[in-house]
Amino acid sequence: MLREEELKTFVDGTTRYFEVAAQQPATIGSPYLLEGETAMHDYTGMINVSGKREGVVYFTAPRAMLTVLLMKMQESDFSHESMRDLVGEVANTISGNARRDFGHDFVISVPSVFAGEKPQISQPPGARAFVIPIHWRSHSAKLVVSLT
Amino acid sequence: MQSSGADRIRRLLTAGAGALLAALMALVLIVGFRLATRIRANVALLQHASLLEAYPAEVSQQLTALRERLGTLEYTGGVHQELADSVAGFDRSLAALERRPDVDPSVLRAVGHLWKAYTPVLAPVLAYSGEPYSDTDFGSSLSVSGKIYYTQVRRAELFAQGRAPALHRRLATLSAALQKRTSSAASRLRLLLSAGVLAVLLLGAAAAYLQLARSRGERAARAAEEQTRDILHTVREGLFLLDADYRIGAVWSQALNHLFGREDFAGLTFEELLHGKVSPATLATATKYIKLLWGERAHENLMKSINPLGQLEVMLDNGRGGKEAHFLQFNFHRVLGPKGVKHVLCTVADITPNVMLARELHAAQENANAQIDMMVSMLHSDPLQVGGFLDTASAGLKHVNAILKEPARSHAEFSSKLAGLSRELHSIKGEASALNLMSIAQRVHHLEDMVEELKGKSELTGNDFLPLVLKLDELLAHLRSVREMILRLSTLKDGASTSDGTLSTPVLRLPGTERPNGTVELATTLQGLARKLAEDHGKPFKLSLEGLEEVPVNYLPTVKDCLIQMLRNAAVHGIEPDAVRRAASKSATGQVRAQFRRVESGCELVFEDDGAGLSPEALKEAAVRKQLLTEEQAAELDNRSALALIFKPGFSTRAEVTMDAGRGAGMDVVAKSVYALGGRIGVSTHPGRFTRFKIALPAPSQTAVA
Repeated sequence: MLREEELKTFVDGTTRYFEVAAQQPATIGSPYLLEGETAMHDYTGMINVSGKREGVVYFTAPRAMLTVLLMKMQESDFSHESMRDLVGEVANTISGNARRDFGHDFVISVPSVFAGEKPQISQPPGARAFVIPIHWRSHSAKLVVSLT
Repeated sequence: MQSSGADRIRRLLTAGAGALLAALMALVLIVGFRLATRIRANVALLQHASLLEAYPAEVSQQLTALRERLGTLEYTGGVHQELADSVAGFDRSLAALERRPDVDPSVLRAVGHLWKAYTPVLAPVLAYSGEPYSDTDFGSSLSVSGKIYYTQVRRAELFAQGRAPALHRRLATLSAALQKRTSSAASRLRLLLSAGVLAVLLLGAAAAYLQLARSRGERAARAAEEQTRDILHTVREGLFLLDADYRIGAVWSQALNHLFGREDFAGLTFEELLHGKVSPATLATATKYIKLLWGERAHENLMKSINPLGQLEVMLDNGRGGKEAHFLQFNFHRVLGPKGVKHVLCTVADITPNVMLARELHAAQENANAQIDMMVSMLHSDPLQVGGFLDTASAGLKHVNAILKEPARSHAEFSSKLAGLSRELHSIKGEASALNLMSIAQRVHHLEDMVEELKGKSELTGNDFLPLVLKLDELLAHLRSVREMILRLSTLKDGASTSDGTLSTPVLRLPGTERPNGTVELATTLQGLARKLAEDHGKPFKLSLEGLEEVPVNYLPTVKDCLIQMLRNAAVHGIEPDAVRRAASKSATGQVRAQFRRVESGCELVFEDDGAGLSPEALKEAAVRKQLLTEEQAAELDNRSALALIFKPGFSTRAEVTMDAGRGAGMDVVAKSVYALGGRIGVSTHPGRFTRFKIALPAPSQTAVA
């Protein structure tokens, strides 16, 4: 069973990114369990976890939110590639936070990025996905943690 | 300790040997110097004595030579002068001897006396200064004075020859005495030097031995120091000493650096060591405990038994910029010296893996116990009935998840979820309790506790809901395992029921795929719950059920929920304890009745107990206590409105929360379910006699009934 501290590490990694990159912290909404439906937005940055826990953690956000985030970061390039890079960076920050807190217990992959398409996510058997809505300004993204 | 004492003794012995050696050398030098001085003086005297000893014979020989020269008319001047020199030399040497106090005076006196006798005969000879010869043409001959001179010389010669042996003997005695004394002094000096050399050699050997021993001791000390260092570098526990000011000493084990992620411990107080790593309350307790260890009367075993730091949870740097929880075990041993407690030896071990393992074992044990309990419960109940509950519970938890999923950003939005969550969970718990599925009921109860805790928070955020969603996941996983267990049990039952004793393919009856008559199931559930409640609360009562077979299928879940909640309320609040019932002249067994019937306007469910009834005043007081009403508002309420308080969310007359009551969610669930079907609920009561609920439901639609 996933522990609260572990879940918080992923959540903190995500909200911290907004605080550092855009100087405006993100808040989290009401968490819930994913039940069959998809939680994907336009862009998704994902890390695979193995070791003590197995599964995936991904951050998925709509294009509108990423555009505003890039603007707040004083970026002028709002291309598809920039969006991809941005969700990759968020996934990377989440990964860094996890490495800091869990060390060698968790083996974390290099972030992979998806845009538009619905990726086949290999959710571990028996693991439910926790969805944590990430609110920033008027936009909402999701952090999905699915680990055994 | 022993090594240090021996070392001190060795150092003292070495220093003593050195001092003794120096003193001995000084003594040998002083005494040797004095002896050498004396020997030198004696040698001088001996020279004088030797000269004196030679003079008598010399004088005799010189007188003889003078006489012979006078006889042969030879030149006598030289011999005369030699004689004069010998006499003067004798006088000088004798005077020199007489000046020395350490020469036997009697001998000197005797010598002086004998020598003095020479004077009358030698004086004329020495006094002669004329020409002893007269020369003529016929040759030379003694002159007149020469003849006298010759006679005097001859007389002196004879005198000297006569006295010389006696004088020589005396002088020889003197010489021998001086010689003896000189030899004696020389012997003593030799002896002294030999003894000195021997002593120096001995002391030198002793000093060398001690130095060797000291070097050996130092080598041993160095080896011991190296071993201590190796121990401190290798031991996996943190080791250090605390002094009377509770400060860490100058030496500690390497493990302490790893445990606390720092290297500067010298002089650090115990309080500073733990500051920021434990709560202030724990830190205060730990500091008090350390102080107690210094008490003379503190009993070590007793102190060990009350050690508050036996399993201390601390937040330590994980070396990657983060912090992680560790469990440290501190042990304390007093180091006693002659004046009482000298130090306190602290050992610190990281027991995190042990604690985690113990927790996992405990959790596994609890899980195993829960599974056994669950299995026992299921063996006593119909798996299909449990399966039905699992379907309902899964649907209920799906609803819980749906409530959680509703978007929320503000405190009000988060807060609005809580009432719905409470109702849903309470309903599931009630049914789980009714089926005696306590492992599920307890998990839901825990979840309810978390929801209640959130209700007390002034500012809710999504973070507050994280533990809730984790617990929900755990509950769903548990329901899944229960479902699997039922499947296995039903497989087992089907396999075992074959009459021919051979294994046949079991008929898998998945829960929820085949249902018995719902009203029969409901009656069984309610009777089971009634028995359990009576037992749990020590209140025997009888449940009478009438007309449940009339319940339309689409009303069945609501009727079930309502009856479960009302039954629990009746057991907890309605039926009085045995003593109270006896005092009120009531029968020992309480009566609870539920009746369902079709009426013209639809359906009616009546639920009543012959218990304590409801007291409007008690209800008002409880509402004020729960801060649902102010005292003023409560005072204005009429009895009817006071009775309606029981349907308010969060209302309960119980001060404490138990598995069956106290949350104030039960009647709220009932009312909400009834209203959802478009029904109404009413309550009537007579304090001390009964409470009656009447639920009116509209006629069910034809399609639903079908």
